[in-house]
Amino acid sequence: MRFLDIRARMLLAALLPVTLVAVLLSSVFLAGRYADLDEAHQQRARSLARQLASASEYGLFSANTNSLQSIAAGALRESDVRSVLILDAQGQALAVAGWTGQVVLPALGAQEQQWVDAKTGHDLLVQPVSPSQLQLDDLFEVRGRAGEADAPPLGHVVMEVSRAGVVSRSQDMLAIGLAVTLGGLLFGSVLAVRIGRGVIRPILRVSRMIERIGAGELGVRGEVRPDDPLRDLQQGLNQMAEHLQQGRDELERRVTLATAELRMKKEEAETATRAKSRFLAAASHDLRQPIHALGMFVARLAQLPHDRETRHLIGNLEASVRAMQDLLDALLDISRLDADAVRVQLQPVPLAPLFEQLRGALMPVATDKGLRLRVRDSSLWVQSDPTLLHRILLNLVSNALRYTGRGGVLVGCRRSRGGSHVWIEVWDTGVGIPAEHQQDIFREFYQIGNPERDRSKGLGLGLNIVDRTARLLGHELKLCSVPGNGTRFQLELPLSPAGDLQALMAAAEQPQQVDDVRGLRILVIEDDRQSAQALRGLLDSWGCVVAVVEGLQGALTVVAGGFVPDLVLSDFRLRAGESGMQTLHNLRTRLERPLPACLMSGDTDPELIQSCRDAGLPLLHKPVRPAKLRTLIRRLARPQPAQD
Amino acid sequence: MRLAPLSLLVLLASLALGVRASEVLVVSSELSPAYQEAADAVVAELGRREVLQLPLAELTAYRGPAPRLYMALGTEACSQLARAPLSTPVLCTLLPRASFERVLRETGRRTGAALSALYLNQPPGRQLDLIRLALPQARRIGVLWGPDSVANEGALEAAAQVRGLRVVGVPVRPEEPVFAGLKKILEESDVLLALADPQIYNSNSIQNILLTSFRAQVPMLAFSPAYVRAGALMAVHSTPRQIGQQAGVLARGVLQGQALGQPQFPLQFDVSVNEHVARSLGLRLDAASLTERLRRLERGS
Repeated sequence: MRFLDIRARMLLAALLPVTLVAVLLSSVFLAGRYADLDEAHQQRARSLARQLASASEYGLFSANTNSLQSIAAGALRESDVRSVLILDAQGQALAVAGWTGQVVLPALGAQEQQWVDAKTGHDLLVQPVSPSQLQLDDLFEVRGRAGEADAPPLGHVVMEVSRAGVVSRSQDMLAIGLAVTLGGLLFGSVLAVRIGRGVIRPILRVSRMIERIGAGELGVRGEVRPDDPLRDLQQGLNQMAEHLQQGRDELERRVTLATAELRMKKEEAETATRAKSRFLAAASHDLRQPIHALGMFVARLAQLPHDRETRHLIGNLEASVRAMQDLLDALLDISRLDADAVRVQLQPVPLAPLFEQLRGALMPVATDKGLRLRVRDSSLWVQSDPTLLHRILLNLVSNALRYTGRGGVLVGCRRSRGGSHVWIEVWDTGVGIPAEHQQDIFREFYQIGNPERDRSKGLGLGLNIVDRTARLLGHELKLCSVPGNGTRFQLELPLSPAGDLQALMAAAEQPQQVDDVRGLRILVIEDDRQSAQALRGLLDSWGCVVAVVEGLQGALTVVAGGFVPDLVLSDFRLRAGESGMQTLHNLRTRLERPLPACLMSGDTDPELIQSCRDAGLPLLHKPVRPAKLRTLIRRLARPQPAQD
Repeated sequence: MRLAPLSLLVLLASLALGVRASEVLVVSSELSPAYQEAADAVVAELGRREVLQLPLAELTAYRGPAPRLYMALGTEACSQLARAPLSTPVLCTLLPRASFERVLRETGRRTGAALSALYLNQPPGRQLDLIRLALPQARRIGVLWGPDSVANEGALEAAAQVRGLRVVGVPVRPEEPVFAGLKKILEESDVLLALADPQIYNSNSIQNILLTSFRAQVPMLAFSPAYVRAGALMAVHSTPRQIGQQAGVLARGVLQGQALGQPQFPLQFDVSVNEHVARSLGLRLDAASLTERLRRLERGS
């Protein structure tokens, strides 16, 4: 638009003078020619009239009407003479030719007269006919006597002349003038456009080049012509574009280098992470098997009669195994969170039994460290998942106890948000968390002041699990800590109307029977002999009838031998690449009934967890805690009456 | 009227001064060559000491002594001097008879010793004689009588009768077109005799009159050489020199104690012929021979 403007202005600047000059010249020319034409016409008419008058002189003197008539008729031969009237001195018409009588004659004197008749548009001329004078220079002439020097006219010639010729020639002239003007304008326009183009084109070219450079097309170069009025500008632009291009190329090269370097680093890091994960998974899997067996053995050992000292040792042994299992559980939790395999089941949860469990689970730990653990009872109900909430609080309180040297830990709750919510708070009098670490402590494996990775201080997974689980539940978690004075964690939960606590407690306690699994026939598919032995021992001690096989073939053999299992416990990874899931499927197909089954695995691979969930098979992670195993067996083999 | 006290003053002043007067004061109406020629002829006749020449315009400024004779050249000078109450005689010359007679009418004076004239006009008999000499077959003489010339009708008729000629005259009233009368005369005459009358013959009318007469094949005898140049066949006339000479003779007579007599016609004359016109009319005329024959005729009579 701006350049059109320039173009228009250039055209205007070039055309305006041309137009003015053309119009002015043709106007002056036309006006001059009109005046000339008119003058020529007038002169011709006047001289014609004078000729007529002169020719009529003798006719008038001699009153010869015939000769006058022929003179008048002869005048009509002139194309533009419309009529002729010859009058004598008394105003009597002596000769008339073509006279229509439309014109009213004025008083006729000795003067020539000329006017344009309004009605006909014709020129009218009155020419007095004076006798021709002969200078006699005679002594008989009496000078100074009036009336003798200026003789009265002999008569008058009146001539009517049409202006049609003048008009037509004027029109021709106008047409020619217009044609010349238009021609001049056209020529001027063409010239202006051509000259203007010579100026505008370089501007537009430079402008387009700038536009292309602006659009990032730095490779563009304008042609530098010797006759270009904007040659310097063009050269400068070319240089600028070149510099820009060089700069950009350099920049791109560096970016490419840096990107490649970064990618390399990233790949290295990813490789490292993958290696770490693999290592962790492998390590935990390999650890789980023996600890699983160890747990089974210790459980079995504890059921045997021992003397007091041995029992004490077994107690310590159990605690160590439990600590190891806790650590592995934490790892497992993280894996499950990573796999999004944690299913949240929000429901009204009473805080009282939850706190009671906490107190029961952690009071021994506190007592061992010489700390005071106080859990304030509460009758409130909250909307949450009881298992996940329990895990959060367990982690928070364990953590508090772990980092508190003296004093104690307090767990309580209070209402917030006008009573719609409740804060569960965990106070400790521990070392506190410096402000700069308060964000980091929620990261995986992050521990303050434990560079030597003392395992008695845990793996640094607890708060990460807490944080992620709280987010999963939609509960807000807040931290307030003063180094040296202690820490307070706050977890905000929505309140729920109070439910029937008694019924809930009753339901929870109902299956607590000693011989609830006695007599169950359990088929154990386990290729690891040690684990298989430990599991068999444990199940035997619970009064179950156990058959242990190493794979599908053995299972089929046992079943064919008349062993009808109530439940199948299978390791996930079996010998020779056999999958526990596949084995179970085949077994169920062979037995033609949906045999209750449970998978066990030392693997924390999220994909494995997901695939078990998809197949509807419960998965127990090794090391399997005897209590947990027993609960599961009870649930699977003897479905609750309510579910039947 | 304005001039009278002035002239008186001039005369009184000249008397008082007692300056020697010029005998003749020639007052010219204008300073044209014709007047100068006439004045020069007067001087040649009288001698330079006797003559003082003044244009009419300078007369009022004249402070010289009174002359013994005023000679007026032209009508204007004559009219002015005739009106002045002068004791000195005034001789008017170089003017047509009709003009002098008009001056007389206007001033109420009579001709005599105090006022007389030498006409420019030719005597009627001389014109008729010339016709007889040049055009012997011509018997009928056509004349247009205008207001000025009609006074000569009787004299012309008488002269014609003596010579066996007949005058065909048509009066033309003032402001009346000449053509009707002219046509009638030309139809009935053998020759057209033009007599000086500005009402009829003037520079405006002469061409058409000549043209008409030529078309009618009627020759015109005019009264001045200018008309001959314009197309008249011939004219008998006196030159200013001839007039001046005769006036000088008259003046000498006055200076010698003679009184001014009645007005006179010029004695000397010339004849002019337009030979082109003559040829066109089929005539062979010679001006010199005609002049000679006419002079001889007058001397013989």
